[in-house]
Amino acid sequence: MNDLVQLMRPEMLLLAQVVFLLLFDLFAPDRARRHTDAVACALFLASIAVGFLPSTTGEAFGGMFTVTAMTQVVKNVLSIGLLLVFLQSRVWLSDERTSFKKAEFYILTLSTLLGMNLMISAGHFLLFYLGLELASLPLTTLVAYNKYSDESIEAGAKFVLIAAFSSGMMLFGISLFYGAAGADGLYFDVLSSRLAATPLQLLALVFFLSGVAFKISLVPFHLWTADVYQGAPTSVTAFLSVVSKGAAVFALMFLSFRLFAPLFEYWQYVVWALVVLTITIGNLFAMRQDNMKRFLAFSSISQAGYILLGMIAGTPLAMSSVVYYLLVYLVSNLGIFAVVSILENNSGKVHISDYRGLYRTNPYLSVVLMLFLFSLGGIPPFAGFFSKFFVFMAAADQGFYVLDFIALINTVISLYYYLLVVKAMFIADSENPIPTLHTDSWSRLCLTLCLVGTLFFGVFSGIYAFLSSGAWGL
Amino acid sequence: MDIPMSFYLLVSFVMFFAGVFGFITRKNMIAMLMSLELILNSVNINFVVFNRFLFPEQMEGMFFTLFIIGVAAAETAVAIAIIINVFRSVNNISADDIQKMKY
Amino acid sequence: MDIASITASQVIFFILAAVILAGSVMTVVSRKLLHAAVYLLFVLLATAGIYFLLNYHFLAAVQISVYIGGILVLLVFSIYLTSQVGEKMDEPGIVKKTVTMLISMGGAVFCFWVLCTGQFPYADQIHLNEIDMHAIGQSLLGTERYQYLLPFEAISVLLLACIIGGILIATGNTKKED
Repeated sequence: MNDLVQLMRPEMLLLAQVVFLLLFDLFAPDRARRHTDAVACALFLASIAVGFLPSTTGEAFGGMFTVTAMTQVVKNVLSIGLLLVFLQSRVWLSDERTSFKKAEFYILTLSTLLGMNLMISAGHFLLFYLGLELASLPLTTLVAYNKYSDESIEAGAKFVLIAAFSSGMMLFGISLFYGAAGADGLYFDVLSSRLAATPLQLLALVFFLSGVAFKISLVPFHLWTADVYQGAPTSVTAFLSVVSKGAAVFALMFLSFRLFAPLFEYWQYVVWALVVLTITIGNLFAMRQDNMKRFLAFSSISQAGYILLGMIAGTPLAMSSVVYYLLVYLVSNLGIFAVVSILENNSGKVHISDYRGLYRTNPYLSVVLMLFLFSLGGIPPFAGFFSKFFVFMAAADQGFYVLDFIALINTVISLYYYLLVVKAMFIADSENPIPTLHTDSWSRLCLTLCLVGTLFFGVFSGIYAFLSSGAWGL
Repeated sequence: MDIPMSFYLLVSFVMFFAGVFGFITRKNMIAMLMSLELILNSVNINFVVFNRFLFPEQMEGMFFTLFIIGVAAAETAVAIAIIINVFRSVNNISADDIQKMKY
Repeated sequence: MDIASITASQVIFFILAAVILAGSVMTVVSRKLLHAAVYLLFVLLATAGIYFLLNYHFLAAVQISVYIGGILVLLVFSIYLTSQVGEKMDEPGIVKKTVTMLISMGGAVFCFWVLCTGQFPYADQIHLNEIDMHAIGQSLLGTERYQYLLPFEAISVLLLACIIGGILIATGNTKKED
């Protein structure tokens, strides 16, 4: 029993927070409810701190729930991402059109995170599926959160249909695995020993992967991404593009390592094609965007391609490079979203053309945004360079030179469009630039944390060393 | 003679691909939702049939189906809440008409 | 097989299969939304029939009460709420329709062919052993292998989150009321 509490500590804490916030919102006096966000953030911060305490590893529920050193690291990474989202969403939530349903935002995001944790720790397809649904269904209602905006509701409608369709595809794959793998085939530990690349198993793998690819928005399953990212409230978009995508990537990573290792040969062909398509198409479309959120949607599609590039090698080294990449992507991308949402909340402008002359009026914001964009593009002193470097190395290590070369060309292309934003801010002039803004302290804290991460993770190589030495007790 | 397993699975496969066809070609969101129900239902049949024919001593497939039915109900409820909201805001639920957002 | 050897369960199966096949195709091609919902009703009922045939009585009951009593009723309500009862839906473009139809038919044939290459032990006999409610309850609330307490908790959190989300969507100021 004590063991179970140790193993499921993050999940239990999240559940406790969800229940507490629910009751708090119902019963607390109005005066206290005004501070819902402070309460939620403080609680969440405490639970993250607890998450860093040493804990046991092992299995529970007859192999249905597994905890390794790496799953704990990954869960902490996702929690930090959510905390950063909380910090930057405060201004938007204080808007009078949304403030009355503030608590629901926290409750739903926390239960989404709970779903992600279950998905990552799953040792059984049923738990994986339920985790995935818990990670996407509440999110659809958050996408439709801004009821005053048509775009938000429409994005919600698109997202819920696509989420349901992709889980349908995935389920079909799972059901074929169930038939193809023999008794107990739903437990990952049993299934991995039964996989032998029979045609039926490969078919199941294709369905399963295409379902997951929808969630990570890999090309050709990406068509929903831009619309949903554009329509959703900016903070929710940040959550979608970083935490939600990160969770799906981590889950896929653990699956590929734990489960699909026997099918690796076939897996590599599929992933090879997906990487090339995803990076290239993401880049080509990103160049054409003027809306910043659509721009970030396509940029995040191409980033997903790089993440997958790390996964193709399938060595423990590659896995740690993927976790490192995601950590860096998390701070850089959330930093960008923080700036975008500050600008949007204060001036209502989200287009790149609106950012012209931003340096004149808001020098600090534009410099910070530039640093994040450089990190995302992979320019040397920043963390983004190192994370790309490690991913490329991991792939080259296994002989994927052509793939590395294609990805490298695409990195150069991506620099071009990241620089377009920088150019708009620093060089282009505008008749009416966005006026000088006052940034609230929460967003400032968020920006500082992201900036520290972006600089620190690059210079301080200990993080990567820690990850690659990480006990891959898989 | 019993009916072989493949007969049952043929039925469910046809149902699945009918659902996929409907999801892609339908423009009305409620009709898309119905296609999704077909997809989930065919998955349910798969699980149940595999369970009954291959592993009759166990209940894994049956439980999976049970949980899928539960999730499908939640999914439909949320989807319908959102679709009705779309209808209230634009008075139309055709997936084509709501595409203000273009590439 | 000759006529005399056809058993009742075979007859029932073929009727159910015919209903499902025709119903699911009609659900996705019918031009009227309410008609599509009725075809869906038949598909869901026939699916419950298949569960009965395979001796999963509990599952069949759940199928009828949740799918038909819950989901389908919800769908019909929403069809009425969005007031499109009599309207005909737009046809998809002929090219899109043909291509999708070819892809999905090809997909079904291909998947079935792949399935037939698989080697399944006992796939031709059926063991209709009864599953008693006691065993179902035991495994739903146990923590051992083949027991499902954790998924049960997970789905309860999921339902809670969906209720909260649904309320979030349904209440509050919309654009019209501003």
